[in-house]
Amino acid sequence: MKVTKKGTVTTSLLALSVVVALTGCSSNKGSSTTEGTHAEEGSTSGTSLKPITLTYFSEDSSTNWNNMKDEVGKVIAEKTGVTLDAEFAVGDPVQKISLIAATGNYPDLIAAKADVGKLVDAGAILDLTDLIDKHAPNIKKMLGDKLVRTKYSLDDQAIYAIPTWSSVDEKKFKTDGGFELQHRVVKEAGYPEIRTVKDYEKVIQDYIAKHPTDENGNKNIGLSLNADDWHMYQVTNSGFQTTGGPDDGEYYIDQETHQATYHFRRPEEKEYFRWLNHMNDIGLLDPESFVQKTDQFKAKVASGRVLGLADPEWDYGDGQNALKAAGKFDQTYGHYPVTMSKDYKDTNFWPAGFDGGYGISISSKTKDPVRAIQFLDYLASEEGQILVNWGIEGKHYTYENGKRTIIPEVQQRMDKDGAAFQKESGIGLYWNMMVHYGDGIKDSTGNFFTRNYPEMLTATYNEAEKETLKGYGIDHWKDLFPSEEEFQPRAYGAAYTMSLPNDDPAVILGAKMKDITWKRIPQAVMSKPEQFDAIWDAYMADLEKAGVEEMEASYTKHIQDRIKLWSNQ
Amino acid sequence: MKTVTSNAENAYKLPKRHAWKVFRNQQYLYYMSIPFVLWVFVFQYLPLWGWTMAFQKYKPGLGFLDQKWVGLEHFSVLFGDEHFYQVLRNTLAMSLMGLIAGFIVPVVFALLLNEVRVQVMKRFVQTVSYLPHFVSWVVAAGIVTKMLSTDGGVVNDILMNLHLIDKPLQFMAEGNLFWGIVTGADIWKETGWSAIIYLAAISGIGPELYEAARVDGASRLQQMWHITLPGIRPTIIVLLIMSIGHLLGTGFEKQFLLGNHLVIDYSEVLDLYALNYGLAMGRYSFGTAINIFNSVISLLLLFAANGIFKRFTNESIM
Repeated sequence: MKVTKKGTVTTSLLALSVVVALTGCSSNKGSSTTEGTHAEEGSTSGTSLKPITLTYFSEDSSTNWNNMKDEVGKVIAEKTGVTLDAEFAVGDPVQKISLIAATGNYPDLIAAKADVGKLVDAGAILDLTDLIDKHAPNIKKMLGDKLVRTKYSLDDQAIYAIPTWSSVDEKKFKTDGGFELQHRVVKEAGYPEIRTVKDYEKVIQDYIAKHPTDENGNKNIGLSLNADDWHMYQVTNSGFQTTGGPDDGEYYIDQETHQATYHFRRPEEKEYFRWLNHMNDIGLLDPESFVQKTDQFKAKVASGRVLGLADPEWDYGDGQNALKAAGKFDQTYGHYPVTMSKDYKDTNFWPAGFDGGYGISISSKTKDPVRAIQFLDYLASEEGQILVNWGIEGKHYTYENGKRTIIPEVQQRMDKDGAAFQKESGIGLYWNMMVHYGDGIKDSTGNFFTRNYPEMLTATYNEAEKETLKGYGIDHWKDLFPSEEEFQPRAYGAAYTMSLPNDDPAVILGAKMKDITWKRIPQAVMSKPEQFDAIWDAYMADLEKAGVEEMEASYTKHIQDRIKLWSNQ
Repeated sequence: MKTVTSNAENAYKLPKRHAWKVFRNQQYLYYMSIPFVLWVFVFQYLPLWGWTMAFQKYKPGLGFLDQKWVGLEHFSVLFGDEHFYQVLRNTLAMSLMGLIAGFIVPVVFALLLNEVRVQVMKRFVQTVSYLPHFVSWVVAAGIVTKMLSTDGGVVNDILMNLHLIDKPLQFMAEGNLFWGIVTGADIWKETGWSAIIYLAAISGIGPELYEAARVDGASRLQQMWHITLPGIRPTIIVLLIMSIGHLLGTGFEKQFLLGNHLVIDYSEVLDLYALNYGLAMGRYSFGTAINIFNSVISLLLLFAANGIFKRFTNESIM
């Protein structure tokens, strides 16, 4: 607190000595980039299984990691000769990556996710293009023509990361999004078609008119939203979801011209928010929607009083689990493809395609990059995929009439004692160290690569859910939604996976727009219906004043660059 | 660390030659202080080096000399941003309200508590009042939002039952109420704790003063006004000056945890602004620039406050 004159003099003197020390640190740079030549030397030792230890750092935590002492880990070590000395991020992973980049102590394998740019800037990681070409037949086979999507940028077309987070060719079975209604609500209404916001509104209104309170006299709530902090995205995403737009983050991208528009600027979406305003006006929207914190929201869901949601299942799942544990199955939720009118298709299953994205990089200082890539390649092989997803044959799974099934006792332990079982068996632990196929893809034996398949999903449905599905004459929620095949694949994947430089106009202006939107949307929804238009106009004017057009132009360029990069083989 | 020195002590000055002699005589004391001087240096002064970031286009991973220097660019962006002034207004408003309330309420509370003659009662009230201090803001904010909720919140229930309102009030959705709610929550949480120091100061006042006053026929109120209050005046002023120094550094937990998108115009403070527009966007340099501004203003306020009090009351912390 106290700064005296003497103090300042000493500080500046000492600061000077720090300058000298720092200059010393940063003197030897540039030596790291040439080390890729090791790859050529290593190619002769292609099949060597000499035990080797590779260090590994991942930005994601892995609480059940067991230093490869688990059953699957032992097999991997035996097949590849590689043992990982792994470290997983605790706390803010960005700081750790910055530290790795700054100090030059690079682990052999680094999973830097969105922060890979920092390592590229520091010259910390190898261009993997040649390594993949020469030593990774399985990775090459699995990615095929999607390999181009792993390139870094239009200016720097190197491959810096093996994309191990995103699933290849995924076909989702499980419905996560859409609008949700409690099973008791649709049951009471006799399972009517729920397709538009008006259908949705009507069943809620009918139910609440009949049952204004629950059995304990607490008020039932029509529709509750979670808008706490970044959960606001979940509220605003409904804007494009109900008007036929795919999830491209905060933008709507014209599929023909690939022009990006800040999605709130579409007139169609104004009508969605007008509907929310109307819901508020007639008292069906929870007045606390924009005020409550996530835990309050979850507690409300868990109380079973919220009839309808417009939220992804991963968000309200905790609340729903509490309902399940309490046996209140008729108060859990089903998913419905609600849009503004029947002219729009629900876009939940619009495939984003493989987006390259997050993955594992190989350090420029690693001694044997070939062994590192071979290790990753083994995991990408069919053998590796089955091992990581299913475990060991005879121990964890067997083939019954050619159908791969988890041994019942093993399944029981998975359900009851998941964490400890994973630590011991290693099943699923190596999931994001390998390039992997998504759900719904079959291997050479005709079985699915992953353990998620329709029959498995059916097993998770509770009685009330089964009854509702039966009421609608379907097997899965997905059957209500437009399927993947109805949509054209997007040439740019999903826009939100693009990582932009921190000082890009789209990023800085984007933050401004976000502030305006997050302030104005709640205001517009909570206002009196006759004020809605005025607030919306003011909102649009704010956006324009803050430079929304400049932001859109900048983003459009990024989208078009990505398309250019991905289409040039 | 924060000693109160009066002018009388400063007047006593040693001749130059004697200073060296004194130093030699007291050298062991100086040696003993070395670890602490080092500690202060390492943790308080060394981090100031990071301020250089504000004048660079800082990129992690590059050495100090490889960074690009941009001069005052980040500051001009900062001062050119309208949003910044709104944030500054909120920070100052909430800090001032917190300062005034957080200064008056604990003093009054301590004075009143001191008058309670039943020891058990006094202890009990004191303990209960400072317990919330140990609750983290995360929990405290949860309690506050729950209390003010329209869905079974205690405050609304009471107001409804008293028929003061006919519809639950949306406390957390009103921007105008936000500053008040934050200040109120702060008082609830910290009054008891802040009062401890005043109670300690009060107990240091000699009982003979009260006895003399009683002999002269002073009432309880007059005793409080003429003896207790002047008795703890130095403590009050030192604490006040120090809290003025913290004016801009009120932290952001309260605002972050209690705020929502509807009241963002009133809830965003400087630290949150630095977090959202600096750190969260990877603009380390911009974040640092905000922080430098913060520190400079805090220092100015501290010196100004100190100067004013020195002139009028002869009390100062420097």
